[in-house]
Amino acid sequence: MMNSMNNLKEQLKAHYKIAAFEEPTKMQLAFNVEPDKTLDVLAYLKSIGYGQLSLLTCIDWIEIEEFQLVYILFNWDNGIHLLVRTSIDRNNPKFRTIEHIYPGVKYYERDVHEFFGVEFEGNEDSYKHLFLELWEADCPLKKDFDPLEFSTNRYGNRKYETNFPRKVGGE
Amino acid sequence: MAIGDKVELSSWEKLGNFFRGRSVWMMWYCTGCGAIEMPPTMTSRFDMERLGMGPMATPRQADILLVTGYLSVKTLRRVIYSYEQMQDPKYIIAFGACAVNGGIYFDSYSTINKLDDYLPVDMYIAGCMPRPEAIMNAFNDLQEKIRNNEVDGWKRYKKNYDQYKKNQLKAVGEVYVHDEFHE
Repeated sequence: MMNSMNNLKEQLKAHYKIAAFEEPTKMQLAFNVEPDKTLDVLAYLKSIGYGQLSLLTCIDWIEIEEFQLVYILFNWDNGIHLLVRTSIDRNNPKFRTIEHIYPGVKYYERDVHEFFGVEFEGNEDSYKHLFLELWEADCPLKKDFDPLEFSTNRYGNRKYETNFPRKVGGE
Repeated sequence: MAIGDKVELSSWEKLGNFFRGRSVWMMWYCTGCGAIEMPPTMTSRFDMERLGMGPMATPRQADILLVTGYLSVKTLRRVIYSYEQMQDPKYIIAFGACAVNGGIYFDSYSTINKLDDYLPVDMYIAGCMPRPEAIMNAFNDLQEKIRNNEVDGWKRYKKNYDQYKKNQLKAVGEVYVHDEFHE
């Protein structure tokens, strides 16, 4: 198992000049990829056995104005998870779809689009809502969206009686 | 007139309540974590049928709608659909802290905070989570309240329909289920 992990690191270093690797837990490998190389890397990884895309998710790094897309891949032959990370500009959130590499990603791309507003060029369905029906407010998982304010304005809070004739423990 | 105000029942309805209180069937809208309290309530550990509580499969045949937990706006649309399919007289039990005031989802962007803004709630069960004993107790209390003519939720919904509709539209945008997987 360690051999296949080390082989993979060497391959990625030789082909794509990726040098910094992290191992979040056992059998997991995480690395950052340049945005314009991401599709190549993913296509390569699929060709060497990482056939399952487990998840595409997004992280909002508001202070450095970046969205980080994370593709989680899994190989059923050696049991290794890969976390392929790439960063895009937060003010112009656009990326290319990988539907032609992993067809199942179209639902994850819709998910990321509706919660973070990232547009995936090439995925025709990506503007459709998947979870939030008839949503017209801002993307709710962005860090500058205030859910408490939104909830109070839209759904209201229950008013409670606060003046009681007697206090607890006295009077 | 506020939507919570009492509505007078006619004397025929009061007579009907005498019988209705002895034959009520429950339908559960199993949303949120409250659904997990239903299997022990139904099965041999607590065995709700010995107290006259029975499950019903469809809204058109049920008398009680038990909403077990938080409602996202997406599920609220379905609950309104289910409630409007039920035949009069119909009662709603709101189950758990989330249906009372939002519970731990009080600041969530997609879950409602007060169920009684959108549908007329006849009985609340407080707690997070309420135990099966609380469900059975609430059911007994509701039966007693029906017999005493203290429950008028379905009448209030009819009388204040415009106001309920307004609240519903404010929260869910449009009370119509768009579902690309079934259209």
